[in-house]
Amino acid sequence: MAAPTGDVVLVIDDEPQIRRVVRNALAAGESRVLEASTGRAAIDLAAAERPALIVLDLGLPDMAGIDVCREIRAWSSAPIIVLSARHADAEKVALLDAGADDYITKPFSPSELDARIRAQLRRSRLAPAAGEGEVIVIGPLMIDPVKPSFKRDGVPIHLTKTEWELFRTLIKHAGRTLTHRQLFHAVWGNSSGDMQQYLRVHVRSLRRKIEADPVRPVLIVTEPGVGYRFDHE
Amino acid sequence: MTSAPASRRGIRTGEWAAWLVALALVTVVLVAFRARLNEAHYALAYLLLVQGASARGGRPLGVALAVGSFVCFDLFLLPPYGTLTIQNPLNWLALLAFLATSLLSAELLYRAQAERAAALEAAHRAKDQVLAAVSHDLRTPLTTIKALAHELATPDDDRAAVIEEEADRLTELVGQLLDLSRIASGAVVVNAQPNEAEDLLGAAAQRVAGRLDGRELRIAVTTDDVLSFGRFDFSQTLRALVNLIENAAKYSPAGAPIDVWAKRDGRWLVFVVGDRGPGIPAAERDRIFEPYYRRPGVAPDAGGAGLGLSIARGIAEAQGGTLDVGEREGGGSEFRLSVPAIAEAELRRS
Repeated sequence: MAAPTGDVVLVIDDEPQIRRVVRNALAAGESRVLEASTGRAAIDLAAAERPALIVLDLGLPDMAGIDVCREIRAWSSAPIIVLSARHADAEKVALLDAGADDYITKPFSPSELDARIRAQLRRSRLAPAAGEGEVIVIGPLMIDPVKPSFKRDGVPIHLTKTEWELFRTLIKHAGRTLTHRQLFHAVWGNSSGDMQQYLRVHVRSLRRKIEADPVRPVLIVTEPGVGYRFDHE
Repeated sequence: MTSAPASRRGIRTGEWAAWLVALALVTVVLVAFRARLNEAHYALAYLLLVQGASARGGRPLGVALAVGSFVCFDLFLLPPYGTLTIQNPLNWLALLAFLATSLLSAELLYRAQAERAAALEAAHRAKDQVLAAVSHDLRTPLTTIKALAHELATPDDDRAAVIEEEADRLTELVGQLLDLSRIASGAVVVNAQPNEAEDLLGAAAQRVAGRLDGRELRIAVTTDDVLSFGRFDFSQTLRALVNLIENAAKYSPAGAPIDVWAKRDGRWLVFVVGDRGPGIPAAERDRIFEPYYRRPGVAPDAGGAGLGLSIARGIAEAQGGTLDVGEREGGGSEFRLSVPAIAEAELRRS
């Protein structure tokens, strides 16, 4: 149901009602929920208790949510899920670039929040091994990122060097939205050029090779105005 | 971009020259009628000129004109003519009073204008803050309502589920009202980037999945790489396209598929949403984009507040595009959302 046994989840929100909603969403599992209503208290609590996951509301009275995110990220790798009332692209991008892992816009349904929390916990537990040398099988696709080789129904399909770099980056961070900037840096390093355009061209060609229906992609999902995410369970 | 400051400097120089010519003309006219005029006439004529210059060109121009008028006044209108000396010492007093008055009026006009600009900017800022605050303050209680209703829902009592659905409707409405007020006040932030049509169509299909009452959404894409790039704001354009698809679902018969495709039309990248509904009479084709407009004969419970199309058009226009509607071959309507396309030559360079 909710997060598995024993996980400590820190909820940072100045609204007691929202803290209650998050607490109830997690109630079915046996995770221990800690609560903080200010950014300062949250940072202290996170340092003392080392939570497995953090739910952070952006509208805090004492400091900007993005600063809380950045400060915790400086020494903790626990997934951070942000709650926000706004849905401006620039804000989402800034948060993801500051180290947040996921982003939920209010109002959200408790089951959606629960699902996202579980996904992040699962991902963070697997993180050290994921994408490092493992052969990945998704339906008819077989991906060996090390060799590298890519097969559909056993038939090898050629990917260009750039497509491999892009594919590997997405797989390595599966389940997490990577911003356009993060993807560009990972694939092209510091080279200059029209980042948006390069990225679109190669995402499109990669989709044509790996997606069953490239017009309705299910593996490389577009996060509008923000970036792309590799989704597979 | 580089030409903008240069042309502004050009306008400034032209403006200064025009006011100096005006000063010369006024002086020539006053000199011509010197025999029939007195100091009061001169002072009022120059004062008018100085105030005009301050109002149009700002403080530096006003001050320059005040000093220029002072010199012309002394040189050409107070005897002995052609020198800076003055016969009647009392005229010095008049001249100095003139200078003080004109400098003061230039300064006052400048301050009034600066205050007005500051007030306008403050009003804009306040409006943005109100929009953000309203958005936050409404969404937070809606989150609680929705979540608690969700928790209370049981299989044999649908009241909690209804509360949750209504909370969702209210959320949607709040979002639309905020969008519309942002568009109406010119506060839409448009972040136009090179984007690709197929990516947008795919995202739209994902967003409307399960919201079309079982209607099929058919997407057609061109396989030509070059034709499908445009310069547009991805998430705003996505919102506009989703509004068009939902509108098509609202007005087309149950089970009729909705078609969406992209095409290149000259310098435009056009997203087309086609339905097999009753079509829209020519007389109504502009009115349907007005907020809250409801077509005659359409049941008031057709869903939504009638804002989707006006928001879509506002988004199209905010990024230099257009949205219009026409007849579809074989019956129904075709909504065309156009955004600037990226030229092939520009694309090849990458």
